[in-house]
Amino acid sequence: MSAPTPTGTTAVDADVYTAVATFLAREARLLDEGREEEWFELLADDLLYTIPIRQAAEPRTAEINRSAFRLRDNKMNVRTRLNRLATGHAYSEVPPSRTMRLVGSVEVSPGPGPDLVDVSSALLVYRQRGIDPHFDLIPCRRNDRLRWTGEGLRLVSREVILTETSLLTPNLGVLL
Amino acid sequence: MNETTAPAWPRSDLDDILARTETGLADDLLPVEIFNDSAVFQAEVERIFGRSWVFVAHESEIPNPGDFVQRRIGLDPVIVTRDGEGGINVLSNYCRHRGTQVCQTDQGNSRFFKCNYHGWTYANTGELVGTPFLRRAYGEPLDGKEWGLLRAPRVDSRHGFVFASLSADVEPLGDYLGGAGWMLDALVGLHPDGMRVAGPPDRYQVKANWKTAAENFAGDIYHVPNLHGSMQEIGIAGGLDAGGEFGRPYEFGNGHAFMGIAWTTAVHPGFEFWGYPPEIKDHFDLSGLDEMQVHVVTHDGPIVGTIFPNLSFYRGIAMDGSGLSSVITSFRQWQPVGPGELEVWSWQFVWTFQDEQSALQDAVIGQMQFGSAGVAEQDDTVAWEGAPRAAASPWARRERMMFHFQQGNKSEVDQSPDLTWKGPGIRRLTGFGEHNQLHFYRHWLRVMQARDHSAEGDR
Ligand code: FES
Ligand SMILES: [Fe+2]
Repeated sequence: MSAPTPTGTTAVDADVYTAVATFLAREARLLDEGREEEWFELLADDLLYTIPIRQAAEPRTAEINRSAFRLRDNKMNVRTRLNRLATGHAYSEVPPSRTMRLVGSVEVSPGPGPDLVDVSSALLVYRQRGIDPHFDLIPCRRNDRLRWTGEGLRLVSREVILTETSLLTPNLGVLL
Repeated sequence: MNETTAPAWPRSDLDDILARTETGLADDLLPVEIFNDSAVFQAEVERIFGRSWVFVAHESEIPNPGDFVQRRIGLDPVIVTRDGEGGINVLSNYCRHRGTQVCQTDQGNSRFFKCNYHGWTYANTGELVGTPFLRRAYGEPLDGKEWGLLRAPRVDSRHGFVFASLSADVEPLGDYLGGAGWMLDALVGLHPDGMRVAGPPDRYQVKANWKTAAENFAGDIYHVPNLHGSMQEIGIAGGLDAGGEFGRPYEFGNGHAFMGIAWTTAVHPGFEFWGYPPEIKDHFDLSGLDEMQVHVVTHDGPIVGTIFPNLSFYRGIAMDGSGLSSVITSFRQWQPVGPGELEVWSWQFVWTFQDEQSALQDAVIGQMQFGSAGVAEQDDTVAWEGAPRAAASPWARRERMMFHFQQGNKSEVDQSPDLTWKGPGIRRLTGFGEHNQLHFYRHWLRVMQARDHSAEGDR
């Protein structure tokens, strides 16, 4: 798997950029509002969603190990996670964390095919679980590939690069 | 973390709380305070983590000369290195000059560690080999051994699992592990080449006490149908209710405890070797195992276990919801961070003989269940956060609240040791009774009460 590495925003039209930024904003809002099923509709059938493990290392290129993962999901795996959340007995998310996903620094570049675009974005998730008196922040950068379809953009791949090496939130029960 | 004010950890009189623990344990009860108390935590760091064999790395993480990983023994950061001779060194990560940390990464490969402050340089054996401006600054070379990085006095490994002790005064590793070493041999010795890590550890911090995680993995089969019932509801787990009935707990002494499952009885007679599929099972070569080990791995393989103080594992069949399943093996270490805080370090393990694709599948499915994003483990982390809150509760403390470990006392189930058992330790024929958890805490108390704490200054 090669990671999309957007080179900048100049290569795509403003309307493409706007469509992509709107897609990311919509995704974030659906997840913040607990509308996972609507979010799921935005996933391509051939989705690959990964969170590689990161360590403090030198040189910097050695920090991210793209053969070891906190999570490496296909669409069915994501479906499984959503099914579990929907049971009401996935106790790390009962009640669901209150979240606010802030997406920014969006860069869009042409993908490897005419129907594909590559996107890099920064994401900061504010999370407050259940009756926790405190909040957790989950900072990351995402390398996404989106596909144009007749129904709009769909997420084909997402690589989440966590900013932290050791997470300060106790689990990844929320989607990034 | 992320709090606006630092938590004020309660602090008890240590002798008082240990005496209450002793009284409580005589009645299968535990005082809540031990799960969040700075006096207890400090004593644990000194008496347990400072004086026991503690897991630091697996040899497959540092296969080549110069490889190193940074790890922890209790609160102490240590560098685990593979030197030019192939030897393994466990070194303090504090410069002898002013304490700057000479290793600033989690892993890498280097023959030397050069301190960034004044430039003292240490070989990966710990020896001091360079001091800038030697003649003008010091006149003559400093003794490289005397001024080397502190070295863990005892380092040994078992099946590639490297353990170190910060105290020289410990029994040999094999004696310390006892029956747990025998069971570890069986777990990872199904093939002579053994297992390797699939990658670096998945790390995450939980506001829970390290003992809660260790006791859970010692054999808390009782929580599974309730806390993890969602997995059965969606069809990626089955038979969770049967754990009590088919549990086969082992107490190995020194606080080590494992929980087997009578797989071939509970699932079906062909469900041997934890249900490993033929493409894995066909590689197994049990010639290195004794008769009882062969029996256990064939029929009753352990699903979880804890090697005191803080190394645990999970092995079991796992489904990923997309039609794939694997028998996964995860070793995990519960790093003590504070009185009510731990950091989980979780490694997926795969067989050395597996090809890349097969290893990746097992590791990925392992992560889908056990790890920061694991659909099983997510829920444990939240359940475990209760104990430190209870322990800090002024009301609970005033009431001298105790946790209940009396499960087996009036149970109708026969929990007596299996008299036909010919392997090490004590084996029972039911998962009910919380005997493994009590075994863990009884050993914890023994170590905490041991009078020989010569290394401590203030007691
Ligand atoms: S502190 Fe390391 S060289 Fe001075
Ligand atoms: Fe659990």
